[in-house]
Amino acid sequence: MMNQAEIALNPTPQVKRSISFFLKQVSSYLYFLPVLVIFGFMTFGPLITTVIYSFQQVNLGKPSVWVGIHNYVRMFGNPVFYTAWENILEFMLLSLVMGFMVPVVLALMVNEMRALGKFFQTIVYLPSLIPIAVALLVWRQIYSPDAGVLNSLLKAVGLHGQLWLQNAALVKPSLVVVMTWLGAGGSVLIYLSALQEIPTEIYEAAELDGFSPWQRIWYITLPLLSPRMQIMLILQIVTVGQVFTEPYILTSGGPGNASITPVLALYNTAFQNSDFGLASAWSVSLLVALSLFSVVYLWLSFRREKYV
Amino acid sequence: MNTTRGIMSNIEARSPKGRLILGLFLVILILTSIIVIFPFFFSFTAGLKNSVDISKPGLNLWPAKPIWQNYIDAWNRFKMVTMFGNTFIVAGGGVIAQLIVSTLAAYFLSRLKPIGVKLMMALVLVAMTVPRIAYLIPLYINLASLPIFHISLINTFWGLWLPYAVNPFMILVLKSAFDNIPRELYDAAQVDGASTFRLFFQFTIPLSTSIMLVLGLLSFISLWGDFLLPLLVLRDPTMQTISVRLYNLTRNYPINLHMAGSFIAMLPPLIAAIFLQRYMKGGLTF
Repeated sequence: MMNQAEIALNPTPQVKRSISFFLKQVSSYLYFLPVLVIFGFMTFGPLITTVIYSFQQVNLGKPSVWVGIHNYVRMFGNPVFYTAWENILEFMLLSLVMGFMVPVVLALMVNEMRALGKFFQTIVYLPSLIPIAVALLVWRQIYSPDAGVLNSLLKAVGLHGQLWLQNAALVKPSLVVVMTWLGAGGSVLIYLSALQEIPTEIYEAAELDGFSPWQRIWYITLPLLSPRMQIMLILQIVTVGQVFTEPYILTSGGPGNASITPVLALYNTAFQNSDFGLASAWSVSLLVALSLFSVVYLWLSFRREKYV
Repeated sequence: MNTTRGIMSNIEARSPKGRLILGLFLVILILTSIIVIFPFFFSFTAGLKNSVDISKPGLNLWPAKPIWQNYIDAWNRFKMVTMFGNTFIVAGGGVIAQLIVSTLAAYFLSRLKPIGVKLMMALVLVAMTVPRIAYLIPLYINLASLPIFHISLINTFWGLWLPYAVNPFMILVLKSAFDNIPRELYDAAQVDGASTFRLFFQFTIPLSTSIMLVLGLLSFISLWGDFLLPLLVLRDPTMQTISVRLYNLTRNYPINLHMAGSFIAMLPPLIAAIFLQRYMKGGLTF
């Protein structure tokens, strides 16, 4: 029997408190249950299964056969594997050269335009809103050798029309132009918000000290924008690494595998050749490569803001 | 938009040098805008041409005889009402699924925080970093024959809604939005006797409607244009979304009708974006 002092110090009997505590934990997980179930079926399950499938010969309907590293041997022995990864690296490089600085420059200019800026910002953002497949159909027309507007424009000023999507040397830059057109708007928005975080007093001080606008951009804006640019860089690399819709619709990987990408090859292997095991091996290679970049991206963005 | 000053102050902007720089910026921006807008314009005018003019080489910016009938034809022959309806159902259902799953999860991560919350958070982050393509094949196999239940979700809208419900980004943004609700408000409501669920449903959610609206609109626009998953899941032409259907129809119909159809297909997300503009104040932070 507890005396008065003990009752005062322990208002809740121990047994009841642990049961209600336990119940609260379980009932809390009810809120996370949809995530666990749906993510489990749609994300984590497939993720683990991909790795398993990559070591099997997967037959729908019949049981799968374990083939060890045979799929990987086939994958590394396939010259298309190397072509696809060379292509994607070239895409990444091209998109960095052609597409990385474009949103930065645009954001700088838009930010400077005061009230008009909103108008330009909206316009630049428009392409990322429309269904990609629809936009690509239009671009396919634009790039068309005979009937295309691009060639017509060139001929009108006396230059020759080009085989934008049929010439192996031109197809990758042509695709990167479309990818930039689609993606620049979103990047501009992000850079704009970063630009507006820069305190205006710094610019005032620099202006009073006699720095020209270009010097201000070079010594103030760009260094302050640099962390955001690093994150965007990694994000761009990861996004370009997964490109599928553009080559699928515009070129189907052609001409002659000049624009085939790992995801496109994965898709063909899985849904045209029905070789799910081999396609899973491709998936794992993609996963490993992109995870490296994603980890860097997460590390960089956590340095800026703590999430948990 | 920062209207007090940018890199140049207002006084400097009025100086000759400032005007020159701003003029340069304006010219570049206008040129950029023309290039950006051009495909929209092109599909609009291409939709007005007849099938002969479309293949005619030469710079025909505006056809001699615009055939407005093409747009009506495209609307009817492509059965765009059905396609728009399908796309709306797919995207709308997806957004609703995302909101439900994500708000519950964000409440769990933000307020409830039982044992193991850090592990659950890590799971969400993992789901965010892994690109969907990497596990596309088993995802497709799961949709073709759901494990344990053995039902096929191919050719059903659930086959799209369930994969779409996975939006770790939305969970994280909602979590930080919920974190920003002052603890005192919660304590006050709890003192008044609200249960956990009532706190969630009648308290947290109403306080977060603006961020939910922004996230929902962004998601809607993104899902509207999704191509790969609907391509794989929706086999029945009467159920297909715009992107998939228009792509499948390329072979069978003349290009001018196609361009007309494409232009019409581009309109709804643009309209949604106009709504979005009212809520976004010139930037996105992440």
